[in-house]
Amino acid sequence: MAEQIKLLIVDDEVRFLDSIAHRLELRDFDVTKASSGTEAIKAAEGGGFDLALLDLKMPGMNGQEVLQILKRQHQFLEVIILTGHGSFDSAVECTKLGAFSYLSKPYELEKLLEVLKQAYEVRLKKKFLSDQQRIAQIEAISAQADPQTLVTQIRKQMAEKPTLLSILRELRKLDDERK
Amino acid sequence: MAEHSTVGSPFRAELFPSGQEHYRVLYRRQLLRLLLTYLAPMLVVIIYFGFQNHWLEQESRRLHLTAIAEHQANTLNLFLRERVVNLRNLIHSPAFLDSQSSNLMAVFLEDLVRVSDTFVDIGCFSEEGVQIAYAGPYPSLEHRDYGSEDWFQSLKSKADDFIITDIYLGFRQRPHFTIAVRRSVANRQYILRATLDPERIYAYIRSLEGDGEVFLSIVNTVGAYQLVTPHIGTLLERSSIVPPTEPRMGTQEIDLEGEAIFYAYTWLRMADWALIVQSAREGPYDLLSGSNLYLALVTTPLVLLITLAAFNRASKLVELQREADRTQAQLEHASKLASVGELAAGIAHEINNPLAVINEEAGLIKDLMNPEFGEPTPPQKLIPYLNTIEESVLRCRDITHKLLAFVRKTNIELRPIQVEAVIDEVVDGLLAHELAVSNIHIHKRYSPAPLEISTDPNQLQQVMLNLLNNAVDALEGRPGTITIRTERGRKRVRISVTDTGKGMSEEQIGKIFLPFYTTKEVGKGTGLGLSVSYGIIKGLGGEIEVESRKGVGSTFTIILPAETLV
Repeated sequence: MAEQIKLLIVDDEVRFLDSIAHRLELRDFDVTKASSGTEAIKAAEGGGFDLALLDLKMPGMNGQEVLQILKRQHQFLEVIILTGHGSFDSAVECTKLGAFSYLSKPYELEKLLEVLKQAYEVRLKKKFLSDQQRIAQIEAISAQADPQTLVTQIRKQMAEKPTLLSILRELRKLDDERK
Repeated sequence: MAEHSTVGSPFRAELFPSGQEHYRVLYRRQLLRLLLTYLAPMLVVIIYFGFQNHWLEQESRRLHLTAIAEHQANTLNLFLRERVVNLRNLIHSPAFLDSQSSNLMAVFLEDLVRVSDTFVDIGCFSEEGVQIAYAGPYPSLEHRDYGSEDWFQSLKSKADDFIITDIYLGFRQRPHFTIAVRRSVANRQYILRATLDPERIYAYIRSLEGDGEVFLSIVNTVGAYQLVTPHIGTLLERSSIVPPTEPRMGTQEIDLEGEAIFYAYTWLRMADWALIVQSAREGPYDLLSGSNLYLALVTTPLVLLITLAAFNRASKLVELQREADRTQAQLEHASKLASVGELAAGIAHEINNPLAVINEEAGLIKDLMNPEFGEPTPPQKLIPYLNTIEESVLRCRDITHKLLAFVRKTNIELRPIQVEAVIDEVVDGLLAHELAVSNIHIHKRYSPAPLEISTDPNQLQQVMLNLLNNAVDALEGRPGTITIRTERGRKRVRISVTDTGKGMSEEQIGKIFLPFYTTKEVGKGTGLGLSVSYGIIKGLGGEIEVESRKGVGSTFTIILPAETLV
């Protein structure tokens, strides 16, 4: 993996938090730890996390609330629930709120790594689809607008979403190949 | 032999195993109650009939004696009248007017003895009281002056023409009595007097006594025996019985040196004598005689039967009570398990956390030993991770121990405890984690001086767990506060659990102590917790009170005696 996956781990059990962070760092994840809901939301403010591992039962803000806030603030952040208090009801609830997966403690590392990989792929795919939509929008505008308007439009989109830049790069590459 | 010694008291051994003193007490109380219920009416009936019989017997004896007295008095009256008539006939005979010689007296005596052999002698007296003629065994009595004798004086002044004297010894020193009749001839009074031997009358009377059922005696106006059977006295001796002169006949009961004597009397018409009839079988009234013996024979087997039945029934009742107690204990245990079941989810999760830590540390150690992740870490660096594993194992053990200690079936045991310590064991032990992760704040408002009472800590803990479980459930997953208060009253202590949960309606409050009634979702509550808690607190001599407002919260209050007695 060329790029390190940026992962936020939230758990009130500090020893558990330290160890899992350590293990995932060994497996090339870029890990940030948070021992409570508020800490997690603060850490995520700047954006840039690909995935989050979230405990449910925590003193103060509980996992479900944290999940809702994270999903609202970060469109492409995939959240995986990792809880000691697993139940069918809460799994359904969390999935409805947009959790990518629901694992219970103690977990199997292989399974967790598998889920993290899937989640990352899904995140990329979603982002890609989202970018495609934007391109389609731009194309629709460019079909009728003068070049000057088009450039302004693209600039605007790029300001909104820096990732668009990479997509444009890809597009240019494709264009070059075609030529 | 060994067989025998065990057979000795299998019943008692089975009924009262050691440490079950209260069953023995219960048995005694039941037995007493049953015996009272069954036997008391019976005893009342027996006593009633006993007295009835006694009264009837007395009454019939009274009638019997009265009848004898009346009848025999008539006979005696008749006898004496005949003797008076005998003398009258003689004094009015023409021969008497001709001469009052001793020869004539001898003829008269012969006549009299022919009529009745009770006559002993006969004499004729002048107006002055001198015996002018005599016939009989004591010729020396002739010419004796009787002028100052009582009988003579009485007869002279009396309206009647005859007198019958009391028995006396007189000049001849032999008990006898006399009948005298009087006649006036040409302004001169003549008196004819005969002596009679009371032995003859006594022989007659004794023949009446027959089978010895009654004693007859005759007393004069001052109570001296005129005639008496040797069984009760001697002649002329003062009798302890002096019948009243009015009425002329009747029955009397007198107390003679602690012994009740019952007699019937009749005053004779002919003499100042009273005939007394008393029962020969005297002595204290015998409860086991006559009809009472019959009564006793009938009732004794009945009483025995009832007593046996009472014993039998009492031991059955105790057995039933024991069975009910066993069932109650089983129900309590089942409910305990059920409340633990409600806790189970929380506890399983609580164990999951240390397990996850162990898992994590073990995995990390493996990773650190794995050459794939670079240079293997030296073993000393792994020690902190191993310590964490150990700590987590201990945490798991603590959780399971607490749980087992609670579930373990223990005998009811009353001992002095500190209420707050018992509550803390539940709150800080069993429920701590559950409460923390559910964001439930426990507010302890304990009494300034710890409540020390004598009760069963295990049962109190079970009830507290039930109440706290309910309080947690009432919050329905929302953060909230549970307040635990303890207070000491004069004779009772109060422990209350207040939640800020959903509360209950009036209708729900009415049902919560019923078994299997639950307001919780299907599968969450068994409906046993409160009904069993209620049973436990009742058993400890206390009460549970509920206050609740829909949407505001509920308060459950346990009230226990400050000193729980066995």
